[in-house]
Amino acid sequence: MPHIFSQTPRMAPAGRPSDLPADKNISLNVIRVIVKTPGKQKDFMITEDTSVRQFKEKLSAHFKCQMDQLVLVFMGRLLKDHDILSQWGILDGHTIHLVIKSKQGSRSVAHSSQKLLTNEPCYQDRNTRGNSSGVYQPDSVSHTPVESALSVEPDASQVHTQHLEVGSPEHAAQEMENPSIQLLLSNTDLMIQLISEHPDMQQLMQQNPEVSHILNHSETLRQMLELARNLAIIQEIMQIQQSAQNLEHPLNTPSQLGGEKIPGGSNALGQSHADSNDQMLNSSQDSFRDNIFTALLRGQVLEHVQSSPPSPPSPQEKWDQLLKTQVIYTSSCGLSSMTSDSATPNKVYHTSRANTVANSSKGQSHTCTIQQPSGVPNIVITQQPQEEGKDATFSLDSSDQRLEDEQTSSQITGSMMQLLLNNSYLAAQMMSFMSMSQLSEQWRQQLPTFLQQTQLSDMLIALANPKALQVMLKIEQGVQQLATEAPVLLPWVAPYLWGLGWLPAPSCSYPDTEPWDWDVPDVAETKGPECNHKSGALLQKLQSLARDPSHIPQAPEIRFSKQMETLQAMGFENHHANLQALIATAGDTSAAIRKLKRFQGF
Amino acid sequence: MESPNLYPVKLYVYDLSKGLARRLSPIMLGKQLEGIWHTSIVVHKDEFFFGSGGISSCPPGGTLLGPPDSVVDVGNTEVTEEIFLEYLSSLGESLFRGEAYNLFEHNCNTFSNEVAQFLTGRKIPSYITDLPSEVLSTPFGQALRPLLDSIQIQPPGGNTVGRPNGQS
Repeated sequence: MPHIFSQTPRMAPAGRPSDLPADKNISLNVIRVIVKTPGKQKDFMITEDTSVRQFKEKLSAHFKCQMDQLVLVFMGRLLKDHDILSQWGILDGHTIHLVIKSKQGSRSVAHSSQKLLTNEPCYQDRNTRGNSSGVYQPDSVSHTPVESALSVEPDASQVHTQHLEVGSPEHAAQEMENPSIQLLLSNTDLMIQLISEHPDMQQLMQQNPEVSHILNHSETLRQMLELARNLAIIQEIMQIQQSAQNLEHPLNTPSQLGGEKIPGGSNALGQSHADSNDQMLNSSQDSFRDNIFTALLRGQVLEHVQSSPPSPPSPQEKWDQLLKTQVIYTSSCGLSSMTSDSATPNKVYHTSRANTVANSSKGQSHTCTIQQPSGVPNIVITQQPQEEGKDATFSLDSSDQRLEDEQTSSQITGSMMQLLLNNSYLAAQMMSFMSMSQLSEQWRQQLPTFLQQTQLSDMLIALANPKALQVMLKIEQGVQQLATEAPVLLPWVAPYLWGLGWLPAPSCSYPDTEPWDWDVPDVAETKGPECNHKSGALLQKLQSLARDPSHIPQAPEIRFSKQMETLQAMGFENHHANLQALIATAGDTSAAIRKLKRFQGF
Repeated sequence: MESPNLYPVKLYVYDLSKGLARRLSPIMLGKQLEGIWHTSIVVHKDEFFFGSGGISSCPPGGTLLGPPDSVVDVGNTEVTEEIFLEYLSSLGESLFRGEAYNLFEHNCNTFSNEVAQFLTGRKIPSYITDLPSEVLSTPFGQALRPLLDSIQIQPPGGNTVGRPNGQS
C-alpha cells in the first residue's frame, strides 16, 4: 500500500529527511507492526517509510479518536509526528505501544474554580512523597485537584452545598458514597493537614504524642482513611458502640459540631459519639477489645486456605478493619469538639492503645497480606471465638498500670524472642508446639506485643506469617507420615528432623530428646523405600489436608491417649518418652515399645 | 534536536517467603527455588504494582514488605508521568482489574512485565516470570494447585491508581 509523501511544514530531524523524491514511494517494503493498546492489540500493515504523523492518521481513523489524543511509544521512546518509523528501527513484527489520552486535556481541569470549599484555608502543596496517591497531577497544588475532581464529579452538587446534612444516617450514607468524598479521604496529605490543623486535634496531640505518631505514620493513616471511607465499617462501629453502652446523650446535630469542615466520614462518626464520659468510653473500648482480640486471634490462627470462591469481606479482613476503625473512631473523637476533659486522657490513651494494637495486627497479619477466602474454619482453635476473647490472658485495660506491666512483660518476651533468634532450633521446636492447641492459644495471644515491641528479624516475621506456620505444620505432618511409610528415608531429611525435635540437635536443651537409634529394620512397616512412595505419602497427606480443611490434627497426646495408657500399663513410666516413641511410630504401640526398650537398655 | 527527558525505570523485586523458599523448596518441590517473587515497577519516583485490589501505587519501598530484596535496572523511558498515568488507568480498567488477579496466570509479575515493555521495550528477567510454571511442573505444585489458585496477594501500603481527572 504505497503512501504518498507530503512535505511537512515542520523541521526535519537530523536523521533521514522526510521529503523524499516522489519516485521513491513505490516498491517500499511493507511491514507488519503490532500496535498494542491497553487491553488489545492489532496488526497494521504499513510501509517502512511511513511517517509517524501518517501512521497516527491511520490509527485515529481506526480507533475513532483525534490525532492529538494518540501517544505512540516504541522502546520507551515517544514517537514524534515528524519522525519516520524506520528511523527508530521499527521493523517487521515489532510492537508499538499506543496510549489514547482522554478527550479533555487533564491540565485544563486543574484550572477549575476556586470557589469550592472556600471556607477551608488554602493549603500549600505538601506532596513531599511525590505523587503517592497516583491520582493527582504532579505539578498542581494538591488541594486544587480535589476541587477539580469535585467539580467534575456528577454528584458534586451535593458537596457544593456547604451545609452537610449529617443528621440522618441516609444522608451520611450518601455522603460517604459520594466519590468525591472518597477521593478527598484518599488524599492522605490533605487529610493529615486537615486533621492536624484542627485546634482540638492539636490540643490532643500536645497531651499525648502518640496521636501525632499516628498521623505521622503514613501507612497507618492511609489504612485508617481507607477504612473511614468504608461506610459499612463505620456502621458496624456505630452498632457495636450502641449495643455496648447506654447512650444517654442524644446524637449531636450538625450545629453542635461547630462548623466541622471535614465532611462525611468524620462527621458521621463524630455525631454518634455525643458527649463522652469515661464510662461510655471504657465500656465501648472494652467491648471493642474483646472483638479486637478475636480479630487478632483469628488473624494469627493457623488457617487452612479453602479453594472456595472468595467473598468480600473476609472475616479476618473485616475484623482487622474493625480494629483499625477503632483508631479512626478515637481520632475522630478528637476532631469533634465535644469531649470532656476527663475523657480526653483516657481517650488519648485508648487511641494509643488501639494504635498499638492496630500496629501489631498489622505486623501480624499483614506481613504479606494473603487474604483468605471467607468462611475459613480454624483448624487448631476449636473453641468459639467469643470464648477466646474472654479467656484471653492478654487483656488490655484502661489503667496505665497494666500498660506498664504489659510493657515489661513484653520486654521479657522480647528477650525471649532474641533467644529464639539465636537458637533457631528452639524456634522450630516452638513451632511444633504450635500444633498443640492449648499452648498455641496462649502463645498467639502473646504474639501481638512481641511483634510490635521487639526487634524482629526476617525469620520471625516469617514465623508470624500464618501461612509459613501452616507450611511448617505440614512438614511436621509429612515427616510423621514418612516415618510410617518409609522410615529408611528419614536420615535423608535429618536436618529438618532435628529442627522438629525428632533427632537430637548438637547444642540443644530439648528435654526429652534421647538419642534415637534409627535402626531401620526394627520398625514394623518397612515398605519399599521408593522416592515416589515418600513423596506420594507427603502429597497424600497434603492433599487430604487441602481437600478436607475440617480435618483437625489433634495433639499427639489426645491421639495416642489409648496407646499411652497401654504403655503405662506395661510399665513404661516415662510419659514423655512414651509420647515421643508414639509420635515417631505414628501410634504403633508395638514399634513404640521396641523403641522404648532400646532406650531403656542404655 | 531537543534531547528528550529520560526517566529511569527500575524493577523492585521482593521475596515473599523471606528466604523460606530457598531453604524449603528442595524438600517440598524437589527443585531449588530462590524465592517467591513479587515485583513492582518504580518510575517517576513512585512504585506501581498489581494485586488483588487492582493496580496500586506508593512511594518506593512503601508497602509493608519494606525495602526490596533486589533492584533491577530496566532502562530508561521518555514516557512522561502524565501519559503513564493515563496508560495505567486504562490498563486498570481493561486488563488489570482487581478481580482479574490470579496467582499463577495473571499476577504482579505479569503486570510488571507488561509495564516494563511499555516503558522501555524490555522484559523483566525470566526467572521471575517463569516462577509459576516452575512450581506447577512439580507434583507438589500440581497437587496444591486448587489451594494456591485461590490465594490473592495484595501488599498493603498502596493507593489505588484511578483516572486522573474523572474523565472516561
